[in-house]
Amino acid sequence: MNPLKKLLDRSEKYFTGSGKFNKLAPLFDATKTFFFFPSPKTRHRPFVRDNLDLKRFMSFVLIALLPVLVFGIYNTGFQSGLAQGKSFTLIQSFLTGLRYVLPIIIVSYGVGFFWEIVFAVVRRHNISEGFLVTGLLFPLTLPATIPLWQVALGISFGVVIGKEVFGGTGRNFLNPALTGRAFLFFSYPLSMSGEVWVAAKNTVDGISGATALSFTALSDSGFTLSNLFFGLVPGSIGETSALCCILGALFLVITKIANFRIMIGGMAGLMVTSIIFYIIPGGSDTWMNAGPLYHLCAGGFLFGIIFMATDPVSAPGTNPGRWIFGFLIGFLTVTIRVVNPAFVEGTMLAILFMNVFAPLLDHIVIKYNASKRIPNV
Amino acid sequence: METINISKGFKITLAGMPDISVIQIPEPETIAVCAMDIPYIRPKLLIKENDPVKTGTPLFCDKRNKCIQYVSSGTGTVKKIVFGERRRLKEVVIALNKNDDFIQFETLSSTDINAVPKSKIKKLLQQGGLWQSFREFPSKDTADENHDPPMIIVSLNGNDPFSPHPQAVLENNTEFFEFGIQILKLFSNRIVVTSRQSSLDRLNGFKDDITHIVPDFYPAWDPGVVLYQLKRTQKENRSWCISVEHLIRVAQFLLTGRYPVKRVVTVTRSNDKKPHILTRQGAPVKDLVGSLDENSLITTGRFNGRIVDPQTHIGFFETTLNIIKDNQKEELFGFIQPGLATPTASKTFLSCLAKTPKNLDCNIHGEERACINCGYCTSICPVDLAPNFIMKALLSDDIEDALSYGLLDCCRCGLCSYACPSKIELTKLLSDGMDAHYKDKE
Repeated sequence: MNPLKKLLDRSEKYFTGSGKFNKLAPLFDATKTFFFFPSPKTRHRPFVRDNLDLKRFMSFVLIALLPVLVFGIYNTGFQSGLAQGKSFTLIQSFLTGLRYVLPIIIVSYGVGFFWEIVFAVVRRHNISEGFLVTGLLFPLTLPATIPLWQVALGISFGVVIGKEVFGGTGRNFLNPALTGRAFLFFSYPLSMSGEVWVAAKNTVDGISGATALSFTALSDSGFTLSNLFFGLVPGSIGETSALCCILGALFLVITKIANFRIMIGGMAGLMVTSIIFYIIPGGSDTWMNAGPLYHLCAGGFLFGIIFMATDPVSAPGTNPGRWIFGFLIGFLTVTIRVVNPAFVEGTMLAILFMNVFAPLLDHIVIKYNASKRIPNV
Repeated sequence: METINISKGFKITLAGMPDISVIQIPEPETIAVCAMDIPYIRPKLLIKENDPVKTGTPLFCDKRNKCIQYVSSGTGTVKKIVFGERRRLKEVVIALNKNDDFIQFETLSSTDINAVPKSKIKKLLQQGGLWQSFREFPSKDTADENHDPPMIIVSLNGNDPFSPHPQAVLENNTEFFEFGIQILKLFSNRIVVTSRQSSLDRLNGFKDDITHIVPDFYPAWDPGVVLYQLKRTQKENRSWCISVEHLIRVAQFLLTGRYPVKRVVTVTRSNDKKPHILTRQGAPVKDLVGSLDENSLITTGRFNGRIVDPQTHIGFFETTLNIIKDNQKEELFGFIQPGLATPTASKTFLSCLAKTPKNLDCNIHGEERACINCGYCTSICPVDLAPNFIMKALLSDDIEDALSYGLLDCCRCGLCSYACPSKIELTKLLSDGMDAHYKDKE
């Protein structure tokens, strides 16, 4: 028998029934089922069940995030090197990046899991896998230089206020990772999109915000379309590279974990809206005039629409609802960027805003579908 | 012949398809009339233990309508009356005599059938224990004899993907089948006979009678799915359905005046190609399944049947026994294995690239979690329901909403529970909701 299994079996008695640590049963269950996939017998019909479960479902999102994560780490180091006026090699960049990014991820997972366990223990249910994704999505939306206490505060807000107060995974109406980020963005705007933060000490004056979004003179300072596409620009850890986001999107769409309707709808909404603004005369050299491709690749829109907007819990559950949801996110992103330059983080606000409307979209679609059915009462 | 286009269902090829040939097994020592597969019944016993019974003697009736009787399918003595929890009747076991002694009922002939009043046929069928073959939508309770159905759906295929092939059932019964259709035409103006695409090439003699062809994946041939696809008015919600096997027995009973006792069943397990078995109705499960692995589950339909114990007997509505293996091992990092041979309706295992037959086991593959609104249930539901939203309406006691979303169109095929990654018992919730609503109305 596997020694790990032996250890788990031996310690099970402390965590169940009247064992010493029976309050921590959810933690034990989460550990045990992480290593050994549980598969009890069916008791109700149907007596056969599919092999896909929530652990696999959520793990697949993590796999899709790998290119973004790896590139994000590399880019953090690369940008840090640039800011110090040095030219780092590939490995040097990666290691430097790792030094900044790894603590953020560890804090995010650690603090987030703490809250998950607290709520699981109080509510006596098992720990849901949804947090696996939240815990990685959240750090990827942050700039690498954010103080760690802010990471802890942000993920706490996201998990507790964004999710647990409503009943936990499956019952939240906002995306928890984005809720946490929005909290940090409005509470500590300087750390999020201030002027001097690049991942290195004693840097020269600023190039980077969280996201490259002040369009005027942006192209001159390196934010060209091709740089934005490949992602070698300063910005939040995970959202700079459009290419890596698209790789993740392909994986999610092929495995049908995320819904392509939201992604395509969102891109269509963004394209249409930015073309309309482009055609309207005036506003040269502002976001109005940026054109669809620049809008698409800049400011973490792809990261948001691919990984955040497709969170099934906070998105609509009906297909027409998903199209509308995606389209309006694209529309709102451009509108917020163009009309209100004070809030450059259009994508984040657009997704959170549409999260609130997702139940309404579902309601309309379901009522419409019900009216199309031949009544059966 | 029309083709009904159905796009959603269970499209995995399964291993263990039974062979088309039919074998006969020796007469069992005991048979039983089972009450567990009869929906909504409140049985009232008409016999006591040790009473002698003939083939066709009523054993119990339904308290809700005492005319509907359940009769013995063998001659012998009542050996045991088995009760379950809260004294619910499970089955009446009969020790068989060597020879059958039939109760003789009145006979009809196909020439003068149109002159016979409908009420007389119904009376005969109720006495003969075959009226319950007719089921009425939406609850699939025993058909209401005072109601003229707008449509009767005859399904040539059973409830499971591996239910008996219609050819094995119809063989040598052409005359009865034709007569059965004649009877149905007395009851309703619209008779729908459906067959699976794959069954068709062996049914040459019956092509004129088949009105609709359905695709070859479960549960396209389910009468509930067929009704959903065909209905145009609200009145048709109260259509009837009958399986071809029961239709033949109804006709046989009316033509011969004797209760028909023979039936064809399939016993399926993965990696096995057992032939169809011709046996007596109510035969013991252990005679049919043979040797058995202790942990396996025996069901009368892997998606919508019930679990049966080897010591019990097969029921009136049941024609399939699936033996489903228990795959107990707890895999290390099981949630992230590539899964080369794992059956799945999703696209998250490499096995979805190959079309080879897959083996299903009787394990849940995960733990129950909250609904995350992923929509797998909606994308597999053959009657276009959104089980996740109906479930939420039911859990919040909002039966009106659940009904308006189409709850009663649910055909209890079980695919929503099958596909759910959160392992929520959607089928049970929906089915219980329908039952509660139906009992409330009654």
